[in-house]
Amino acid sequence: MTDALAAEWWKLRSVRSTYWVLSVTALFTGFVLLLAFQMAHVWDGLAADRRDELLLRPLQELAGWGASLCLGILGVLSVTSEYRTGMIRTSLTALPGRRTLLLAKSTVIGAVALAAGEAVTIGSFLGTRLIVGDRPFPDQRASIAHDLPGFVLAGTVVPVFALLGLAFGVLLRSTAGSIVSVVFAWHVLPLLACHLPGPWNARIGSVMPGALPREMAGLSAENSVYGDLLSPGAAAAVLVAYVLVPLGFAAFLLTRRDV
Amino acid sequence: MIEVRELTKRHGGTTAVDHLSFVVRPGTVTGFLGPNGAGKTTTMRVLLGLGGATSGEALVNGGRYTELRRPMREVGALLDASAVHGGRRAFDHLGWLARSNGIGTRRVTQVLEQVGLAGVARKRIGGFSLGMRQRLGIAAALLGDPGVLVFDEPVNGLDPDGVRWIRELMRSLAAGGRTVLISSHLMSEMELTADRLVIIGRGRLIADTSVRELADRFRRGVLVRSPRPADLTAVLAAAGGGVESAPGGALSVTGLDVTAIGDAAAAHGIPLHEVTPHSASLEEAYMELTAGSAEFGAVTP
Repeated sequence: MTDALAAEWWKLRSVRSTYWVLSVTALFTGFVLLLAFQMAHVWDGLAADRRDELLLRPLQELAGWGASLCLGILGVLSVTSEYRTGMIRTSLTALPGRRTLLLAKSTVIGAVALAAGEAVTIGSFLGTRLIVGDRPFPDQRASIAHDLPGFVLAGTVVPVFALLGLAFGVLLRSTAGSIVSVVFAWHVLPLLACHLPGPWNARIGSVMPGALPREMAGLSAENSVYGDLLSPGAAAAVLVAYVLVPLGFAAFLLTRRDV
Repeated sequence: MIEVRELTKRHGGTTAVDHLSFVVRPGTVTGFLGPNGAGKTTTMRVLLGLGGATSGEALVNGGRYTELRRPMREVGALLDASAVHGGRRAFDHLGWLARSNGIGTRRVTQVLEQVGLAGVARKRIGGFSLGMRQRLGIAAALLGDPGVLVFDEPVNGLDPDGVRWIRELMRSLAAGGRTVLISSHLMSEMELTADRLVIIGRGRLIADTSVRELADRFRRGVLVRSPRPADLTAVLAAAGGGVESAPGGALSVTGLDVTAIGDAAAAHGIPLHEVTPHSASLEEAYMELTAGSAEFGAVTP
């Protein structure tokens, strides 16, 4: 397993697409920080009674949302680039244990995505707080220590999307199909769910992957397309299921399919 | 040692490999021949655990490939040289492969030198020619210094220098006691490289033979034309030759060479109008064997 992990890690860091995806993630986060300067500027120009309506949290959460898509695509590419080139055969000749290969790939992609996700969510939270300084935005009055766990939890959804992408890659073997699937899970389905008649909009909206971090942190889903019906524990369980169920299907198919 | 036993592989309704059995022994280069679509690649994929057998088995050193713990140390394989990520550098490609089987990076440098790619080790594979990719694929197969080597069409798309290099490499690997199996659809190439030949058509074994045996089997003898064929037949038969009538009133003589035939005819005053040594090239033998290969059962040498 150590050999497989080291090999997958070497694979991931020796292609340019990895660096492209991580750069886009970083740029997106940088842009969010720039927008925070703009928010601070807007704050300064607002009359005191209207300042209570200006929220910073949607902007802070934007970076993790972007990172979810980027790392989801990285997860897809880590598999479909092998199917596209035929290198999957070389990989499986070097490591004939297919479950081992999938586990190694998932571990490496998951770890990179978790690191990236946490860096982005924590970074955007601390960065935006630093930028707005002592301006008392209505949703930023709690201490950093109080709000930080919520953002740490928000970072955990990024590896979920990465591993979802990886599983789609194994299941579909096509880059285009897998990326479309990730985009659906990432944004299109939540939007659809949001337009369902009640109470189904909240029910379905609560189990969308993007809804889970707030639910895990016990926060409400106001100002979002999501629902907030799950308890923190249930939300965490659904989050884990989003990783294990697709990967389970992927393992099932990978071990039975000819390559 | 590679053992294929009663291997059958079906994809949907088509049978790619049909009760195929053969053994590849150490110390020889074995050519795995057949027309395109004969089932060579499918057999190799099953051997390497990439596809499951419908029935039968393909074993490497007595066991299944998928049960090997560090397979590259026992079996080196080149299936498709173009199946590489173009964005990766040659050193990295071999690097992750080596790492996956617990092989050090020093060995990566070594094989890159062995195949003549040391100068482009840090270049991206996307810019490599087909010949360079074949060399990279061979380097990957050699990484674990394995005792069994499997190459699928290694000379495809190579220039004459590359072809000769591969031929000499294969021969030296076999001379070192390794088991070498090379697939090809070109008899002319295998004639120069291989010691033994496994010929298949439509998934079935057509011949499992040595190159020499195949050449002998298809020796056609000497074509002789004479105005007195009956007399000549008697004379040549007396001299120990096998004589059959050939189309156009000619005789096909086996067991006697041109000199012996000429001397025997002269001794009896029989005029000869034509004496042509005629032997099928291996290429022709192969074409004959594989033409309508479905009608051919396995031929025991």
